[in-house]
Amino acid sequence: MNSRSRYVWAYFMIAPTLIGTLVFWGWPVVQSILLGFQHSSNFGTVNHWVGFDNYVKLVHDEEFWQNLRNTLLYVAMFVPVTLVLSTLFAVLLNTKIKGVSLYRVIFFLPQVTMPAAAAMVWVVLFAQDFGLINHLLGTRMAWLSNGHYAMLVLVIVGVWGAIGMNMLLILAGLQGIPKSLYEAADIDGAKRFNKFRFITIPMLTPTLFFTSIILLIGATQIFDSIYLIIGKTNVALPSVRSLVYAYYQNSFIYNDRNYGAAIINVLLVINLALTGIQFAFQKKWVYYD
Amino acid sequence: MHSLSPKKINLVVHIILIISAIAMLVPFVWMVLTSLKTTTEATQIPIRYFPDAPSLRGYIEAIKQSEFPHYYLNTVISAVMKTVFPVIFSSMAAYAFARIRFPGSSLLFILILSVMMVPNPVFYTPQYMMMSELGLVNTVTALWIASLISPFATFLLRQFFMGISKELEEASVLDGCNPFQIYWHIMLPLVRSALVAIVIIQLQWAWNELQWPLIINSSPEKMTLSSGIATLVSMFGTDYPVLMAGAFMAVVPMIILFFIFQKQFIEGIAFSATKG
Amino acid sequence: MVKRNKFSFTLALVMMVLSLVTAACSSNSNNTPNNKPDNSASSNAGEATEAPKKNVTLTYAIWDKIQQPAMEAIATEFTAQNPNIKVKVEVIPWGDYWTKMSAAAPAGTLPDVFWMHGGQFVTYATGKFIEPITSKVEAGEIDLNNYAANLASIYTLNGENYGIPKDFDTIGLAYNKELFDQAGIPYPDDTWTYAKLAEVAKQLSQPDKGIYGFGAKMDTQTGYWNDILANGGKIISDDMSKSGYDDPASIEALQARYQMTVDGASPTHQQMTDMEATEMFKSGKLAMIFDGSWRISDIDSSDIIKGKWDWAKLPMGKAKRANIINGLGNVMSASGKNKEEAWQFLKFLGSQKAAEITAEMGAAIPAFNGTQDAWLTSRPHLNLKVFTEQVADATPYPSGSMAYPVWFAKEPEIMSQVWGGALSVEEGAKKVAEMMNQAIADTK
Repeated sequence: MNSRSRYVWAYFMIAPTLIGTLVFWGWPVVQSILLGFQHSSNFGTVNHWVGFDNYVKLVHDEEFWQNLRNTLLYVAMFVPVTLVLSTLFAVLLNTKIKGVSLYRVIFFLPQVTMPAAAAMVWVVLFAQDFGLINHLLGTRMAWLSNGHYAMLVLVIVGVWGAIGMNMLLILAGLQGIPKSLYEAADIDGAKRFNKFRFITIPMLTPTLFFTSIILLIGATQIFDSIYLIIGKTNVALPSVRSLVYAYYQNSFIYNDRNYGAAIINVLLVINLALTGIQFAFQKKWVYYD
Repeated sequence: MHSLSPKKINLVVHIILIISAIAMLVPFVWMVLTSLKTTTEATQIPIRYFPDAPSLRGYIEAIKQSEFPHYYLNTVISAVMKTVFPVIFSSMAAYAFARIRFPGSSLLFILILSVMMVPNPVFYTPQYMMMSELGLVNTVTALWIASLISPFATFLLRQFFMGISKELEEASVLDGCNPFQIYWHIMLPLVRSALVAIVIIQLQWAWNELQWPLIINSSPEKMTLSSGIATLVSMFGTDYPVLMAGAFMAVVPMIILFFIFQKQFIEGIAFSATKG
Repeated sequence: MVKRNKFSFTLALVMMVLSLVTAACSSNSNNTPNNKPDNSASSNAGEATEAPKKNVTLTYAIWDKIQQPAMEAIATEFTAQNPNIKVKVEVIPWGDYWTKMSAAAPAGTLPDVFWMHGGQFVTYATGKFIEPITSKVEAGEIDLNNYAANLASIYTLNGENYGIPKDFDTIGLAYNKELFDQAGIPYPDDTWTYAKLAEVAKQLSQPDKGIYGFGAKMDTQTGYWNDILANGGKIISDDMSKSGYDDPASIEALQARYQMTVDGASPTHQQMTDMEATEMFKSGKLAMIFDGSWRISDIDSSDIIKGKWDWAKLPMGKAKRANIINGLGNVMSASGKNKEEAWQFLKFLGSQKAAEITAEMGAAIPAFNGTQDAWLTSRPHLNLKVFTEQVADATPYPSGSMAYPVWFAKEPEIMSQVWGGALSVEEGAKKVAEMMNQAIADTK
């Protein structure tokens, strides 16, 4: 078969994905970028160009910087905690202890729970007067209306929902490590901790790299739990409001799609940068054989 | 470093796991308990764990005020669409990207990948306008039509295809197979386990998605479970037994499915990566 | 344009590829028992047979689930008179209603007929998203003088009429008789002042039991707007050119209300977020609360306080007895596919018959003159006349400007900082005033 016809086959095979990407995703991105340079009125039916006005407003908007800080703070807490706990549970469940499969099922359960449903339960659990958490701790804390605690609640809820999948991905990574490496180490009389430090961790780095990128991208887009758990009349909202929430608020509640687009375009750049940085640094810590 | 006896380590491991498992389970237990309480019992001070007599009011109200049969059906339809098509399309594209060197292949691959970095909300307004041009606003089709492809799955599967040895392929080229036949008959069966993992991940994303269904459809009979129970919150405010009943009904099918297929579910994911 | 065509072409291609699946889906859903034929299918059928009256299904969107049965009863009555027109009543909760409408308006997918709020009206009318009915009014198809309290003027812009008044609402003071009896305190009456309210609220509170005298919620229409007006303050200047939040009398009224959440006479903002004030009242945890006439049947549905509660007028303030009156209207989409049928239904919604159904089912105080009495007797065990009597004390809801939707969306965000204790009342009120004045300037 000549290479010309192979090309044709290749284009045919990528066509659905490519067309879908361009139409449903590429076009909206272009629109979003354009919207950022426009001022629209009448629900977006009248538009005119305003250059960088929206971005100038953004730079001078104290609230925007606060939202950016909130988003980064959430990412900085959520991603490492999820990675560490997921790794811990994966390692513990990679042993031959009793009830391994039951534990795996339980840890995965939050993953099959709809976030919308889970959020409702968390609101009840964290309620001030009749919440189980205050009851168990013997406190009467207003968890959801204190900026610091509200952020903590969001991290807890996020980690709770994310451990299952990441634990399994890491577990898969663990099972992919050739047994022969450990056997060789046993012959050398290596200690349990050293085996973990010098075999398990390095061999696991490609999996950790993959999971951390997926987690990072997801975490920068935090919205659902703020929307469902914190809500718009909460005094703590300014201390937890993320960029995506601000986007939603401006675009859909204040009907200022242009400012909303400017906010989300900034996040787009941040996400590209964060992923770029991770790829740049991967050579320093990710071990490929 | 002190060496602990295996027995002691085992005990510690169990204690950690049991405590964590309880923490993971508490929200489910509380959901069920609250759904069976009266409004007074649910918000009573001091707190109470169990209702005096299980009340079904929450379930009755939730069912009366929403369209659960429609929610289930719509969720299943859109989840199946958003799983089957991405798996087919992504695996085709992934194979082409992994094995056929064609002009512009790396550029196009990067283009598709970069979509993963775009925050989802960017799509909402433009996609809404597209749906309205197509006359699809407030239809079940609108729930899934824009999600028939998956850059994530394309990325993941490309990695898998790249890991498969080329010998099999070369033999079939000699037999006169075209690239599509090779992909379909030879390569796809080899990445079966990865496909299972992707099916599970896609299914979950589709099942859980909240914002898009909430924006695009407003008729109760066109909603999904996720947007349906979110609407329940707007309707019932803080009537917790009703909300918890709705939440329970929304999560229970997936949980049952998960319990039945948990072995395939978990091993699908765990096993697939070992082949990567 | 070229670009647009190409784009539609690509979409058409994608659609074609998927047509098999789509077809399977729609035939599936047609088999489900309670699926009604959709617009396109029925209009196609109509064209094919050249029938004089085509079968049409209209969508009527409302935001209050409590009124759904009454609206459905009206729709049923309408279909009985017009067998070819079916009406599907759709509830989109208030919290999502305007978000969805603002997405649907530019896309041309607004419901055929829907509830309009005075605050949102101007935006939809200036954008030409809703259909003017001036010609119908002039043709005498409908008489706008039939409606109480000049309500039709809410839905008039630059001489064009757009909406037909549906109902009006005022605010009352709901109280729990049992909690008053236990404390041996006489029930609220016409002589009550705000000072008396605060004093009794304190006496009735038992925070250790989770019982409070008054729900001093952070709310506008059923909350501090009434306080502000009663105290001689202003929400917005009469010509809508300047916020009244920073008026000293307004700040004083806000302070008095907020103070109750600090003094333990009312639950805190967080407590009222964990459980809404109305829900607390319904479960017997609040002795008094301000609420709107549209909440009557919701509160009355509570088994816990059934027969143990009633309504009184709002208390007298330093300046006067105040109240907020607001009237909802029905409007029709300018881009609907079946505008003639939509007009028929809209007209019916404004008829005496529809008003009577609304009144008898106790759904809302109907706007149609002379039908209010039926509403008053819809729940004889409650003192409903406080709502109609207070019309005389009432100030119209401060909507009717392009700026309103903007500042009204932002106001609760700032006020929640006050109720949560992060801002002082004065700072918060001034911030709201500044924000409102900015919004007014921006939309000039």
